[in-house]
Parts: sequence; structure tokens; C-alpha cells
Amino acid sequence: MKYEWDFGFVLKFQDVLWQGFLGTLKIGVLALAFGSLVGLFLALMRMSRRRALSLPATGLIEFLRMTPLMIQLFWIYFALPILIGLKLDAFAAAVIALSVQSGAFFAEVFRGGVQSIDRSQWEGGKALGMTMPQLMRRIILPQAIRRMIPPFMERSFELMKGTTQAATIAYGELLYQSMVLSSRLYRPVEILTCVALLYLVMLTMASLAIRYVEHRLEAARS
Amino acid sequence: MSVHEWKFGVVLEYWRNFARGLLGTFELAAIIVLAALVGGVLVGAARYSKLRLLNWPATAFIELFRNTPVFVQIVWFYFAFPVIIGKQMHGFYAALLGIGLNMIAYSAEIFRGGIQSIERGQWEAAKSIGMGYAAMMRRIILPQAIRRMVPAFANRLIEAVKATSLASTIAVSELLFEGEQLANSIYRPLEIYTVVAMLYFLAIYPLALLSYWLERRLAIDERVKL
Repeated sequence: MKYEWDFGFVLKFQDVLWQGFLGTLKIGVLALAFGSLVGLFLALMRMSRRRALSLPATGLIEFLRMTPLMIQLFWIYFALPILIGLKLDAFAAAVIALSVQSGAFFAEVFRGGVQSIDRSQWEGGKALGMTMPQLMRRIILPQAIRRMIPPFMERSFELMKGTTQAATIAYGELLYQSMVLSSRLYRPVEILTCVALLYLVMLTMASLAIRYVEHRLEAARS
Repeated sequence: MSVHEWKFGVVLEYWRNFARGLLGTFELAAIIVLAALVGGVLVGAARYSKLRLLNWPATAFIELFRNTPVFVQIVWFYFAFPVIIGKQMHGFYAALLGIGLNMIAYSAEIFRGGIQSIERGQWEAAKSIGMGYAAMMRRIILPQAIRRMVPAFANRLIEAVKATSLASTIAVSELLFEGEQLANSIYRPLEIYTVVAMLYFLAIYPLALLSYWLERRLAIDERVKL
């Protein structure tokens, strides 16, 4: 069978898709901001010398990294409200799930960055009589942050891809909007192909940006 | 605020549903891993090739599948692809196509990256003692490259198992789908989704431990060699 492509539909209803695109950006950006905070918090807990802090943080990080985002999303949307007796809407559930899961990955990025700094740097700082905050601010963090940037961007890239899963709880992001539109117009081929291309353009630009930053950081080091 | 009474007993009565779901998840994951190994080697080799006729399509394929969300790929194969080929397709195959091709693209890059990371000196030394291409690959390059590929591949495998949960959205019987069905029929979402999350963790965490162990071991071996 020869299929006749007709992209006219997509252009005619493009505002539905733009609305979805905005929805994607909204949860993506919010989750990036909250996720970074969650990550910072979890990383500090995990690096703590107190086991009462580091053990739960390690457990939580591993659990969040090693289970699918979608079960976390479902748990927060369908199960958590029963526990706390408070209904969450799809938007809130999506932002919480994405923030919490990316937070766990960010925590490992932050911890990995700090722990990758050579021992001699710590010892040198201490030998000069620096206090821990001084040592962190002047010696460790400036070096560690450079190493964190590429994996942090890599994880943010994955986060943007993960926003599509909010469609499963009927949050109106790009994929959800396109599914609604394609079932209304019976043109899944054109609409879904267009949406896939939109993601492709968006994410290719993002990955080019990541590569550019990586090159710059490498050039700055040598 | 209402205090919820946890009742895991009710849920455990339905252990068969969870077992069926886990089997579905394992089945999907197993086929995807096999596809990733075979397809990844083929596409990776094409990407590595100097022939543009092989190199360009492989590069396009890899970039296409790495720069779109896997969920969009699954949805596209389920709703759009059947219209193009004019044939109905079960969700199971759409999920296999979406996740499988995605995994092939990532594996191809891992395999190619592993080979390209081997220092030039190794290639030159092998050539200078008169080894043919096949012997050089088998004896010098691959044994070193494979060590570098294995941890990255194990990580990708974890991502693939996690992605199988997306198949639930197109009515494929796997763990999350079975959980959803059960939650809709016995109205115990809290217990059911908690159990489903635990089961996913139990299924995936051994893979994580394996990859941590491999990373540590292979790192030690590299140091010894230096």
C-alpha cells in the first residue's frame, strides 16, 4: 500500500503542538532547577561522615537511579496522594518525579566531581592552614565544577527526554498533545513524524552545545 | 489527614500477576540485549568504516535514535509505522523496534568508541611485527577494547531494562502493565506500585552491582599493566 503523506494538517493545528512544546519546556526547566537542589542536598548527605546521613542518602540515590522513571511517576501520581491525603495534579507529579530522579543522578555527578580531585590538592590546602570552607571554595570546587559540567549537561539532556513520560499521566506536554491531535485527526503518521523531528532538532542542538562546551573545557585544561 | 492502612497481604495474593509481568519484562530485555549485541556490532562497524556509503547512513541512524526520546520512538512505531506499511502490529513488536533500535544506536557508539580509544602505538606495533588485520584485531586491539566497552555496555543495559516499562503504555504485558491492570481492578495502588517499584529495583540492581564490580576490576587491570 502506498501511503499519501499530507503535512498540511500539522501546520493547520500547529498551535496545539506549540502549547505542548511550552508544557515540555515548563516541566523540563522546573525539574532542572529543583533537581539540581535535590542533587546538591543528596550529594552533601552522601558525602557526610555521619552514617545516619550517608546511608539513607546512598540507598535513596541507588533506588532512584535503578528504577524506571515511569514507576516513580506512577507512584507519585497514584500512590503518594493516598499516603499524604492530598491530591496532586499531573503537572505537580511530573515535576516532582523528574526532579527527584534527576536529583539522584545529579547527586552522583556532584559527588564524582568533588571526589575526583587529587588528594594532594586537599593536603596542599590543609598544609597552608586553610579551613574546610576556604579549601572548598578556593581549591576544590573551582576544579571540581569544571569536571562536573559535561556529565551535568549529559544528565540534563536525559531529563529533557524523560519529560515525554509525563504524557502517561495526561500532562499536556509535546508528546501528549501530539497523541491527542493525531487521534482527533486520524493522521498519526504526519503528526508523530513531525513531533519526532521537532525533538530531533531540539536535542541535536543541545548535544552540539554539550560537545562544544566539552571541547572548550578540554582546550582550557591543556 | 487520613492514615492509610497498608495491606500487602491482599496484593501478595496476586503474585501470579507480578510474576507474569516480570517474565514479560525479562523477555523484552533479553531480546533487546541480543539485538543490541548483533546490531550494535554491525552498525558500529559501518560507522567505523571509511566507506561513505556505510559510514553516512550509520551515522545518521545513530544520531537519529540518540537524539530523540525513546518514548517517542515507541509511540511512533506503534501508531505511525503500521499506517505506513499498511499492516497492524502488536505492541510487543513496536516496543521491541523502538527500544531495540535505540539500544543498537547506543551500543554501536560504545563498540566504535572502544576500538578508537586504543592508542596508535598499539596498532603500529602490531603492524610492524607483520600481523595481518584480522590477527591484529583479535590479538591486540579487541582484547583491550572489550575491557573498555563492557562497563559502558552494562550501563546501557540498565537503561534498556528501565525503558521496557514504557511498553506498558501500548498494552504489552510487562511488570508495570500488570501492576496497572491490578491497581485498576483491586483499588490498591499504593501497595501495588510500591511492590512494582521494589521488583524493578530487585531486577535491575544486580546489573548495577555487576557494572560497579566490572568497572573496579577493569580499572585495576589497566593500572597493573601500566
